[in-house]
Amino acid sequence: MDQMEGQSGDIAVTSANRKCYAVTGSARKIKDNAADWHNLMMRWEKLNEEGFEVAGNIVNMRLTRSQSDQLLVDESSSATSAPSASSALWQLPGRAPELQDECCKLQDVINKMGIVVMKMERLVTSQRAVQDLEEFQFGPEGRKFPLFHSWDTKHFEESSRILLESFCQELKLKQLILQEVAHTLTSDLCMVYLSCWLHQPFIPPQTRLILEALLLETGHRPL
Amino acid sequence: MSKPALLSLHQALRKSFQGLESNQKVWSGVLAECSPLMASLGNLAEQWRALSNVQLSNTPLRDFPDLEERLRFKLVQATDTVLCKLNEKMSSLQSVRDSISNQVTAVFQLYEENTDSLDLLTVTERSVTSPSISDMLEWLQDAERHYREQFLRRKTLLQTLRADDLSLLESAPKRWKSFESPSAEDRITDTLCKVSFFIKSQ
Repeated sequence: MDQMEGQSGDIAVTSANRKCYAVTGSARKIKDNAADWHNLMMRWEKLNEEGFEVAGNIVNMRLTRSQSDQLLVDESSSATSAPSASSALWQLPGRAPELQDECCKLQDVINKMGIVVMKMERLVTSQRAVQDLEEFQFGPEGRKFPLFHSWDTKHFEESSRILLESFCQELKLKQLILQEVAHTLTSDLCMVYLSCWLHQPFIPPQTRLILEALLLETGHRPL
Repeated sequence: MSKPALLSLHQALRKSFQGLESNQKVWSGVLAECSPLMASLGNLAEQWRALSNVQLSNTPLRDFPDLEERLRFKLVQATDTVLCKLNEKMSSLQSVRDSISNQVTAVFQLYEENTDSLDLLTVTERSVTSPSISDMLEWLQDAERHYREQFLRRKTLLQTLRADDLSLLESAPKRWKSFESPSAEDRITDTLCKVSFFIKSQ
């Protein structure tokens, strides 16, 4: 079924190019966004693995030290100070520089994860812009025929928002772990922090499925 | 004394020992692959235990109200994945057990069919290059029993494990390790040594 677009800046969606050989305009943007989502999620996974190793080191150092020195953390003083891992460390007498190093490494990982989330926010904004353009061109109902196989443009925006929400929440959790893990004395709670980091409770299996669906729809994966 | 019966029995014995040799390698390989999986299981059990010992509402994690439920879900998923992989390994072990059992059964069947033509002297006669038939039958039977029992113990252990039974999960790696039987494995290796000339001869 042929459809001619009257407006500029959008592709003529014909049955020939619906298979995305010469994808331009809105479809190009959406397809590129899908690729970006994939790359960003891969980057996140890598950072997660890196961070887990560092967090594990921190816990090991913390627990061995507390066992051997029988130190008690001055909880009241660390509670009133600014909630950052490095400032809490200064409260503890004779703190090993290695622990400080590991905390800095973990902070670094979190910073990089923050950048990933920021890029994800941009993808959602970009998707919103595509949606807005479509509403401008075709009215509130949007275009009549899907850009790819079956998804309407709103679907892309919804999927992006769900993905962003998951990663935002997960980042908040990881920031908390960063703050707490270096001055938690009980091994059980340390283990729970490590579990949370590793298993990423706010990134459910559906996240992976949404990405795969996105890649299938935009032609990155063969049907 | 019937020559054909003796020859065919010898042939069957050779085939069984050759099968035993390759199966022993497969078995050891699969068991080695199970070790990291059991370690993962132990690690997950530790995580479960830690989570059950902590009251999340008394920790900074209280700011994430549905965290516990989500973490439990992830731990269940991870535990199920490991148990699935272990079950796949069990299938491989089962194939080894079945292969050995079938071959040993076939040899004994052949022996039973020919007991009329194989007198006691023949059956207990040994030479420099060839152990006696009675010894070889005994060794095969011992090996078959060893793998049958090993498989049964390990399979039973895995079948009792569930993601929601913490104490069983915690004790599983230790119990798995307790099934190791180096002396029995050594005896099988010894057996294969003893029959090595016999296998190569015609």
